Amino acid sequence: MAAPEILDLLVQVRILVGQPFDAKSHMPTAVPVSISVNGLAKRYGAVQALQDVSFELLPGQIFGLLGQNGAGKTTTIECLLGLRQPDTGIVAILGVNVRNEPIRAREHVGAQLQFAALQDKITPAEALQFCASFYAKPANTASLLAQFDLTAKARAPFSSLSSGQKQRLFLALALVNNPEILVLDEPTAGLDPLSRRELHQIIAGLSATGKTVLLSTHNLEEAGSLCDQIGILHEGRIIANASPAALIARSSANPRVSFHTALPLDPPRVATLPGVLNHSPQGNSWVVGTNDVNQTISALVRELAAADNELLDLHIQRPTLEDVFIELTGKTWRKIETEETP
Amino acid sequence: MRTGTRFTGTLQHFLLTLKLNFRSVQALVYGYLVPVFFLLAFGGVFRSEIPPLLFHMGQLLTISILGGACFGLPTALVAEREQGVWRRHRLLPVRTWKLVAGTLLARLVIVGSAVVMQLLLARLVYHTPLPQFPGEVLLAFLAVGYSFLGLGLLIAALANDVPAVQALGQCLFLPMIMIGGVGVPLAALPGWAQRIAGYMPGRYAVDVLQRCFTDPQGLWGAGFSFAALAVIGSAAGFAGLKLFRWDTGRRLSRSSLSGVAIALLAWIAVGAAAEATGRLDPVRPEAVEYESISTQQIDQITYDGLPGDNELVSRLAPPFKYNDPPESVRDFARKLKTWPKIQTAEPGQVVRVLLSVAAVADIGADLREAEIGRLIFDELQSRYGRDELSHLLAWVILRPNDGTVITRVPELRLRRELAEPVVRERSVFYAKKYLGRLLGKIPD
Repeated sequence: MAAPEILDLLVQVRILVGQPFDAKSHMPTAVPVSISVNGLAKRYGAVQALQDVSFELLPGQIFGLLGQNGAGKTTTIECLLGLRQPDTGIVAILGVNVRNEPIRAREHVGAQLQFAALQDKITPAEALQFCASFYAKPANTASLLAQFDLTAKARAPFSSLSSGQKQRLFLALALVNNPEILVLDEPTAGLDPLSRRELHQIIAGLSATGKTVLLSTHNLEEAGSLCDQIGILHEGRIIANASPAALIARSSANPRVSFHTALPLDPPRVATLPGVLNHSPQGNSWVVGTNDVNQTISALVRELAAADNELLDLHIQRPTLEDVFIELTGKTWRKIETEETP
Repeated sequence: MRTGTRFTGTLQHFLLTLKLNFRSVQALVYGYLVPVFFLLAFGGVFRSEIPPLLFHMGQLLTISILGGACFGLPTALVAEREQGVWRRHRLLPVRTWKLVAGTLLARLVIVGSAVVMQLLLARLVYHTPLPQFPGEVLLAFLAVGYSFLGLGLLIAALANDVPAVQALGQCLFLPMIMIGGVGVPLAALPGWAQRIAGYMPGRYAVDVLQRCFTDPQGLWGAGFSFAALAVIGSAAGFAGLKLFRWDTGRRLSRSSLSGVAIALLAWIAVGAAAEATGRLDPVRPEAVEYESISTQQIDQITYDGLPGDNELVSRLAPPFKYNDPPESVRDFARKLKTWPKIQTAEPGQVVRVLLSVAAVADIGADLREAEIGRLIFDELQSRYGRDELSHLLAWVILRPNDGTVITRVPELRLRRELAEPVVRERSVFYAKKYLGRLLGKIPD
């Protein structure tokens, strides 16, 4: 047996006995792992949906699976929940191999799927009681209704609920078994900004109570603000896996200074400002790339004062997750949120 | 603990499915209003039969079960799959087949309630007698439900969307209605159609259900039909469960065709077995049966040992002279002329019913028993020619257990309920007395 195969075998054995491992070094880690995904691959006909996807989640962590539509987020989540069988790879939830014991694994997980629904005529109270009846120690359904602000709608048909109420109900359903792990597939898709913010607060609150959260999203801001750790999934592969700050810090993109002046500026003068790497004028508005924000802004202010010009507006743009994504993939991030309900 | 919890969950799913069904207007219309329409349609056609509708209850109930199982079930399952309900169900810590079983059981209860409603409405509206063997009706219903729900599950697995359910359902429903012995009575179908019907479950469903209403032996002897329903239902159910899709995104693979092949093979196997055991010989209607009785068969009928006309059993008055019968007998004759139960075009059944009246009056020791016996003979002769009546009476004598007899006639003031075998036996006595007189073998 070749050395890599032996290492794989060791990893599998550790997963089966519930011992965490380091995805890169294949060595056991000190803290217990909530979710471990190792070498996941899935093909649909000619399309390789997932390829060697590996990551781990620690207790209390919020892990964001970030990727555009079709990147493989939902397939990853479905493999993780035992809804789909991967071609290769191992998924373990609290040490339980999902392929071998999907029912046992699901007992520890609360999940909310992107493309799922309830019967039109079912009420939130009935849905919660129905789901709760499958667990030995379910949560109090009345408390869940109250927690997710659904008490007033407890007896309303599912079809009459708003998008935000439906999402809150699915989140309540995900918590009906008091799970240690929450898996949320695009939980804020289709929500208005207010509902989205509410949901962010709920998710952060759940994480604070020690629950591990894995959420998939194509929303860069959401991933950046909510997640402790982000795995960027692109064309079925995890191309980066770190905290938002670490990802941005790794970026080689430069800060940008955008400003607007009362009178026109001479482009050669802007180009020779200290630190400026590039510039793009549009009337009296400018965006300049710089490797020294302080020097560039100081010189700009002096230049404007000397020319008796006035600075009307100024913004500093630090590198973002979008820059990270563009660097990693060579592609721009499509603003998919425009499809969502305003 | 876990097993108990999951059972509670599965039970909850069963109860919830029932509850939600009764909240859906569409489900109520298809589940209960449509069966009422079918009942009224059958009633419109067969209400003049005696007893009304009784000989078509098997067909009527089969249509209701077929509709509920092959349309109602897959429509609900596929609609829920399209919505994403089953995707949500998959997150629960329970095997999918348990939830599917709960859904099937709920559908069985829904269809069962529609069947009970039809039985009661038929009784209320058309005075159709309730089944002779209620326990056997339940058994027959479960067998038919099992078979058709299996087919419904397979349709749900094969159909990608609700319109596809309608298309697939019609592919099963229409042939069974038209040439499968379900909508059109088997005896009214041409020989080739009867043979094809032997390969369809509808024929066997009608058989087991109808026996509970009109066959004196009930389900005794219906083993083949039960086996046919079990084989067809099991094969379809197995294939349906194997191919069950909880997610719209999952398409059927080529290997799924093997599941369909298994289900079709069961139909072919049942038809072939029926063919091999001579069960697909053409069924002839009663009218044709009595016509098929030969002159030789009639000549072979003996009249030895018949009780005398003035003895206790099967009394028969001599022919009436002018103004001879007393007023009470004339009144009986007037009522008999307009009695609804003999206003049917089915001569075989009319003769049996009229003979029953004579038998009931005789067994019940009615004061007019001998005169009623004579009135019935006169009525028969006024309705049918000598030759046809000879065949009809011979058919009763040679096939005493066929058709339906009346065991009480409250409309004609013969209210006492009598045992059917005795009525059949006494009917044969009268049939012989009448036939003997018609043929000149007994002096009148």
